[in-house]
This record gives sequence, C-alpha cells and structure tokens, in this order.
Amino acid sequence: MLKSIIKKEILSNLLSYKFSIITILSTILILVSILVMYGDYLLAMDNHDILRKESGEHSEIIPPTPLGIFAKGLDENLCRSWQLKGVGVEISSEQQKSLNDLFKLFTAPDLLYVIKVILSLCAMLFAFDMICGEKETGTLRQSLSYRLKRPILITGKWIGGFTSFILPFFIAVLLGTIFVTLSAMVDMDAQDWTKLGLFILSSVIYLAVFFSLGLLISCLTHRSSTSLVISLFVWTILVFLIPNLGNILARQFVQIPTTQQLDLKRKQIVNRMRFEMKQIPKTRPDYKKRLKELQLRTIKEGDQLDEDYRNRINRLVKVSQSITGLSPAPAFTLLATDIMGTGVAEERKLKKAVQDYKDFCVQLYYIDESVDEESEPPDFHYQRSSVKDILSQGGLSNSLILILLNVLFFSGAYVAFLKYDVR
Amino acid sequence: MLRTIIAKEFLNNILNLRFMIGLVLCLLVTIACIMILAHDYRQEMMDYNARINIQDETLDNYAVAKQYQLIQLLRPQKPPERFRLLIVGIPGNEALGFFDYNPLPILFPPLDFLFIVTIIMSLLAMLFSYDSIAGERQSGTLRLVISNSISRTKVLFGKFIGGSASLLIPFILALLVGVLYVSVNPAIQWDSSAWAELALLTAASITFITLFYLLGLMVSTFSRYSAVSILNCLFLWVLLILVIPNVCPYISAQFRRIPSIKETERREHEIERHSIEAAREYMKESVKEFKFKYGGLFSEFESMEFGGIGSWFCLGKDAEHKHEKAARQRAEADPEFKAMMDAFREEVHKAQDELMRIRRANPVEDDLHRKAVLQTKLAKNMACISPFANFVYVARDLTGTGLRSLEYFEQTKYEYERQARSYSDKKIDNAREKNPALEEDSFLDVSDRPRFVFKEEGLKGKLGKVLPYWGILVLFNVVFFAAAFAGFMRYDVR
Repeated sequence: MLKSIIKKEILSNLLSYKFSIITILSTILILVSILVMYGDYLLAMDNHDILRKESGEHSEIIPPTPLGIFAKGLDENLCRSWQLKGVGVEISSEQQKSLNDLFKLFTAPDLLYVIKVILSLCAMLFAFDMICGEKETGTLRQSLSYRLKRPILITGKWIGGFTSFILPFFIAVLLGTIFVTLSAMVDMDAQDWTKLGLFILSSVIYLAVFFSLGLLISCLTHRSSTSLVISLFVWTILVFLIPNLGNILARQFVQIPTTQQLDLKRKQIVNRMRFEMKQIPKTRPDYKKRLKELQLRTIKEGDQLDEDYRNRINRLVKVSQSITGLSPAPAFTLLATDIMGTGVAEERKLKKAVQDYKDFCVQLYYIDESVDEESEPPDFHYQRSSVKDILSQGGLSNSLILILLNVLFFSGAYVAFLKYDVR
Repeated sequence: MLRTIIAKEFLNNILNLRFMIGLVLCLLVTIACIMILAHDYRQEMMDYNARINIQDETLDNYAVAKQYQLIQLLRPQKPPERFRLLIVGIPGNEALGFFDYNPLPILFPPLDFLFIVTIIMSLLAMLFSYDSIAGERQSGTLRLVISNSISRTKVLFGKFIGGSASLLIPFILALLVGVLYVSVNPAIQWDSSAWAELALLTAASITFITLFYLLGLMVSTFSRYSAVSILNCLFLWVLLILVIPNVCPYISAQFRRIPSIKETERREHEIERHSIEAAREYMKESVKEFKFKYGGLFSEFESMEFGGIGSWFCLGKDAEHKHEKAARQRAEADPEFKAMMDAFREEVHKAQDELMRIRRANPVEDDLHRKAVLQTKLAKNMACISPFANFVYVARDLTGTGLRSLEYFEQTKYEYERQARSYSDKKIDNAREKNPALEEDSFLDVSDRPRFVFKEEGLKGKLGKVLPYWGILVLFNVVFFAAAFAGFMRYDVR
C-alpha cells in the first residue's frame, strides 16, 4: 500500500502546475547560480595568480577553493594577500576587492543561497497543502475510508512528495557540477568531491526540514489558504528573522570593538614603541639587547590585543549560534560553509595558522640567537580543513540540529495527522 | 458605490488571519529591531568616541616631524550614521581592509527597517492581493458584485484603495512605535532634516509596498484560480526580490570586465619604473655635460651629497638638511657656483617634466576607473528591473547608509586630508626653522591641528540622486495598475 501511495503522490505532483513552476524556477536558478559563481571563481583565480607572483615581499596568500563556486561564504576574505607586521597582520593591498561597489549591497547568489532561501520556500510550497488540500477536495476522506492506516498514508505522502521535489534539484545540481568539473580551470581532488557530496547531503537534510515543517502546518490546518499564510510567515521567521536578528542580538551580549578601533590601538602601540626606542641611548653596550626586549614586548602587547579581539569574535559566534539554534537556516549556513572550507571554522583555523607562523618567525628572529637576521623567513604553508576536521569542529553538532528538527517536525506532523479530522 | 467597495475590501482584509499575523509580526520585529539597533547605535557612538580619544592621545604624545606618519595619524574617523537605529550600514564593509574582522554580518546580514519593508511587507502585500479577483470569482461574489450597476474600473480602484489601506495599517503602526521610541530616547538627537528624511523614507516605502500589492492584483486578474495566482505571485516575488538584484552585479562583471586592481597596480609600477628610467637617462646625459662644462666645480657640488641621481629630482627636499644648507651657503659666496646650481636645477626640472609627461600619459588608472564606472552602471541599471534594487538605492541614499554616503565621506575625508597635509607641511617647516637639528622622529606638538567634523550631506543633494529610482518605483505602480486594469476589463467573472 505504501508503494501505491508514494506512486500516486509522485504522479500527482509531476502533473501539477506547482511542480512545473517550481522545477523550472529551481533548475534555472541553480544553473544560473553555478555559472555566475564559476565566472566569479575564475576572476578570483586571476587575481590570486597576480597576487601570488607579487607576494615576494613577505606577503602571503592562499588560493580560492573551487568549492566557493557552490558556497562562497568568507572565501573572498580568506584569499586576500596579507603581510606580517610587528604588531598585527595587515592586508597588503587595501584595494583587492572589486571596484564594483554594488557587490557590497547584495548577497552572493551561490548555491548555498539558492538552497537556503529559495529552495526552502519551494519545499514548503510543495508540502503546504498535502493534507489540508486533499481534505478540501475530499480525496483524503475517500482514501481513509479504505483499509489504509494513517501512519502509512502520511509516510507515503512524505516520501512521494519529497522525492518528486528533490529529483529536479539533483538533476540541476548534477548538470551544474558536470559543467564546472569539465572546465580545465577547476581542479577538484578526492577531498573536494567528498566535501561536495557532504554539502549536497546536508542540503537534502535541510530541505527535508522545511518539507516536514510544511507537512506539519498542513496537518494542523483545515484550509490550504490558511496553511499557506502560516507556512510563508514561518518561513520568513526561520530563514530571515531568526538568523539575522540573532546576529545583531548577540552583539548586545558580547562587546566587540570595531576593526578601526583595533587598528588605531595597534598604531598607538607602534608609535609608543618608536618613542621608547629613541629613549635608549645608542652608545649603551646593551643597546641591541634592550632594543630586542622592547620590540618583543611590543609584539606581545599587539598579539594580546589580537587574541582578545579573536576571543571576543569566537564568543560572539557562539552566542549567535545559541540564539539562532531554533532555526535550521543558520545551522545549515554554518555547516555548509564549514564543509566547503569557506566558513567561520576555516577562518578561525587560518588565523590560528597565521598566528603560529608569526610566533615562529618571532622566535626565529628575536629569540633564537643563531639565526641570521638578514635571512629570508620560511614559506607559509596552509592546508584547508579535512572532512574529519570539519566534523570535529562543530559540523556534527550542526548536522545533528538539522536531523533533530527533521525528526521533530515529522513526528509533529505524524501525531497531528493521527488526530486529524478528515471530514 | 466606490466607498462601499473600499469599506468592504478594508473590513474583509482586517478580519482575516493574514492581517493579524502581519500586524503582530510587523510590530514585534520593528520593536525588537529598533530597541536592539538603538543599543547598537549607542555602542557604535561609544566606539567612535573611543577611537577619537585614542587618536588624540597618540597625536598628543607620539606625533613626529615626518609628514607621512603625521598624515596617517590624522586620518579622519567616520561617526555612525544617524539612521543606524533603523538601517544598518553596508554589511561586511567594515571587514574590507582588515585581517581581523567580524564574519557574522557577511554570513547573516543584519535585520533592519529595510528587511521589514522589502521582505515582510512585500510578501504581506502579495498575500493581501493574490486572491482579490481570482478568489472572489471562485467564491462567486465577484459575479454578484458585477451584476449590480457598477463599473469594473470602480471595483478595481476600490479594491486597490481598500486593500492598500488595510495593508498599510501594520506598517504605519510599527513605524509610529519606532518614531515614538526615537523621540523619547534622550540618546538620540534628530534634527529637522533627519525627520524630513524619515518622512520621505516612509513615502518611498509606501510606494514600494503598493507596488507589490498591485503586482498581486495584476497576477490575480490574469488567473482563474487563487492557487495558481499565489504560485505565480511567489514566483515573481522570488525573482524580483531574491534573484535579480543579487545576480546582476555578477552578470555585469562578466560582460564588462575590469582588470584586477593588483594587475593595474603592477602596470602602474611598470610605467613608474619606465618614467624614472627615462628621467634618469636624461639626468645622466646632463651630468656628463655639466662635468664637461664645469669640471671641478661640479664635482664639488656632487660631493655635497645631494643624494644619488634619483634624488636630484627632489633637490632641496630629499637632501639632508645640513648638505642643502652648505650648498646654499657656497652658492651665496660664489656666483659661478650659483649659476651652475641654478642651471642644474633647471635640468632637474626638465627631467621631472619628462617623468610627469610619461606618468600623465598613463592610461591605466583612467581606464580602470572608466571600466569600473561602466560595470557598476550596467549592474545598477540591470538591477533596476527589480523594484527591490530601486527601493534599496532610494532608502539607503536618502538616509545616508548606502554607497553614496561612503562616497560623500570619502570626499569630505579627501578635503580634510588636503587641509591636514598643508597643516603638517607648515608645522614641520616652522619647527625646522626654529630648530634646524630637528629630526624626522622628533616629537612635534600638534595640539593646534585641524579637527575633522563630519556633516551629513544636505537633503537637496540626496533627493536629486534618489528621485530617478523613486520615479521607477512610481512607474512600476502605474504599469502594474494599468496591466491589472486591462486584465480585469476582459476578466470572465463566471
């Protein structure tokens, strides 16, 4: 019986106007998004190649990841050329971003955005009238008048409905991925493929959350127009309101100075050091030693400042995550960007690597007496997080949130449907 | 009769579930938003004051007689925008030039008044109007209404006025709560121009909201069933709000490519190197001539260490103070030496002219900016297909929270920096005159430095820039109403 229900659900969806419009919309959007972001990746690679060639003067840079085509996240900021300074780390050219200011105003239309915002809406539109719509047309009463158990009906509806919704998504993503990987400019290794697979898997779980939620709302209402209105408002709250409100709400609990203030504090430390340097008479026999001590103290002070700022940012992210824990959208955003190596965890890892590299250089030039001061510093090497790292860095907890919400909404729909008045 | 239709539409809407949900959502979000952003604004004000204090402290204690460093320390600070408690500035802009930054605004753009109008209100507007024609046809009431002696124009007009009025209630109420909060909060001091900007922002928001109401009405007049109508409405909403504005900058970047800034910098360095080489060659020839013409006298001049060939271009500036002084004293004592020095200076000027000629002929920067302007213009014009983009331009530029305000700040900053440069030039020269032994890293008292005061751009200037985009929003309203009118005139009410 379950098979028949699934088949009926898939067929009725395939023939509906809703299916055509949502399939056309999602396919066009996914393909356009991948094409557009592919172009953006090529531009980023061009820029990286030029910066790489010029990074001889102690500036460092990591290449953009091809996975940024699917989830750009913070990749633009991660791939800027930077330079170690005595106090802090500086971006070597302030003008590495595009001159087109319009990029600042609007969001990057990557696959992550399409899934997070548009496909989640489509998932709800697929599910909002699954139960109450059938009640209105009277088919639900007829179905249940047979020896059909309600748990089988709702499970069949879920499987059939979700399959018909997710199939076009798979086809579009597959087409886009084939196009991208056929390009000679995109070099993806086994790790990248695993990450892309995980990203698609987490997207499916995320979309299932919204599908289950739509089903739950449909089971709680008796008219499809009411279900639609509630679904749209719940979607607005979960996708826009909670994540974006959570971000500004978290700032109420964790005080973060602006980056400009941080920069001014660094400059103040450097200027103070210059003045103190002048106070040490050059004729003193321990001049060099005292100079080094002063420089080391200044570096330490600057590092303390940076560490304090980074700790605050980490706390802010944690608080924001706790506030937005109720919504699947932030959990998915953080999970997807972390998987693709363009998220907060990657950014934190890069900063730690830079700090370690800086500590190493300080040890080399200021503490280790045997090293020649004129010698070139060692190269900076950075490897983006592996799948194992991602899962241990918080990826698991975010996936658990999504799975939990799925179970919660489906159980809710199940319970509501058991008590649903089909008349 | 028109009044009856308006009243019926109005009552019908406000007794509906969507009105209640819309009202509660609008009020809750606006209150939460304004309270949080007002707190944020206070924090940003404190941060701005802290920045000024740090800058003052650094300048008072560690300013030195080196122009470059002094200019760096005098760099002006931007205060938070006065509309910061309604509209958050451009997300992620702060992170641009720094290695350490807050990544959250890039991943989750903050919630503000723009969000309320562009997402909540536009969605609500479409939910109010998607079934106003198709829904009434399905329930049979449209047939009854039309069977009376009432023209279709009046029915459509009544539906528009009654529907829009009921739709605007949640928005106006939410806005009034916001206004009340701003007016009773002692930490927020708004002058008359800020209130005028708020009034204009409200008017622009109403234009935007009615536009989406009319779009829903138009779709409804072309649909037979409300289920189809809502799907079409949501399809258009997704395209106009979520897709077109975000895709346009990327598409324009593909059509009109800008060379990367780093590449431009590299090309500029090449031209700079070439210009220096050319000037150096010119000077080498001149030096040969001078050696031949003046012999020992020129060798004496050379030994005064005016620097290498390259630094001759900045004769008297780059040279060490004591050497410059020695050369001048020698020139005063010996007219022949003076003539040679003047002739040599003339040659240096000629070399400098050659250098500048090559640099001025450099098309790289102009080309880059021209291409960047063309790309931005194309992206902006393409995004104008979406009312969302037009509204964002109007709201941000009107309230000084957009790209234009950044440009305006850059202009005022540039003017201040010019002032600061001439101040530091004078200050260093005066200090050198008083104390010829003054070194570049010696302390310089700059307590009389010019202070940077940022003044918001006038309303007239802002209005001039936003009116075309506002005009497009009005045009959208007219087009959608005309289309709805055409659709309804031929609508089969059976």
